[in-house]
Amino acid sequence: MASPIKMITSEQVLKTAAGEVVLKVIKLVGQLDESNVDDQARQIYDLIETFPQQAVLLFDMQELTYLNSKTIGYLTDWHLKMSEKQGKLALVGLRPNILDILNVVGLTQIVSNYESMEAAKQAVAA
Amino acid sequence: MSGEQKEKIITITLPTDTYFISGLRDMTLTLVKNLAKVSDQWAFRFQSVVDELCSNAIEYGSLPGENILIRFVIVPEERLEVVIEDTGGKKHAKAQELQEHLAKALKTDFSNAKSLRGRGLAQIVANWTDKLIFEDREGGGIRVKASKSLVGITVNRPTVAASAAKAKTGFVSIYE
Repeated sequence: MASPIKMITSEQVLKTAAGEVVLKVIKLVGQLDESNVDDQARQIYDLIETFPQQAVLLFDMQELTYLNSKTIGYLTDWHLKMSEKQGKLALVGLRPNILDILNVVGLTQIVSNYESMEAAKQAVAA
Repeated sequence: MSGEQKEKIITITLPTDTYFISGLRDMTLTLVKNLAKVSDQWAFRFQSVVDELCSNAIEYGSLPGENILIRFVIVPEERLEVVIEDTGGKKHAKAQELQEHLAKALKTDFSNAKSLRGRGLAQIVANWTDKLIFEDREGGGIRVKASKSLVGITVNRPTVAASAAKAKTGFVSIYE
């Protein structure tokens, strides 16, 4: 049995200075570790395949209490996939322990992160 | 050495199954906070170290149906050490190979997203421990020893004994 993890997806269209942007939000609730990350990752890869060009993917991590290094590898890959679609990926609401892990691995030097969903949407709309 | 300063050793044997990893993380957090009295930040960091090394032992070390062994050694106010052993049934890796692999993985170009992949474990364990030693076990498998000085990273937490004594307040013995 895997560690508990729930994934909730939503979508909205944001009006920006340059036009409209499709905003996809994936909210992660629980923990991502060796027991469950591969299964969750498959679902996220499938979702990203369906995204239009120039979409913005936000991972809402306010209720994610743990992630391991394999998850970081996947996040890096999803960042690259979104870049290939001329889109963006950002992380929202990182808990202190999660931010600490992402800092030490260096992901925060490559992927944007925001304290709140509001801040993330404002940055996207700008 | 007072009773408070004595070395504490906790040994856990886990089946080779990631099912137990979440529980091990919870236990690690409780142990290092209560026995080593580290700050919350360092408790979470050590939790990551243990999780990464144990997940690695389960994924690449011991075969399904076998075990991994985890031993915590806590010397209050001095050091915290975790030793993780696998049986080596899966990949038959040698300690020297792992040491070299880790050294290579630490050469990460942080400006390049692709170069981050596969290096997370190395960055976590190298940055959040003071010493990391890989040894070949007699009979096969790897023993990893990760240690961290507790100097400067502890906080004032109630002792386990003090908490237990407080919990006893109000108890009336039937033998009185």
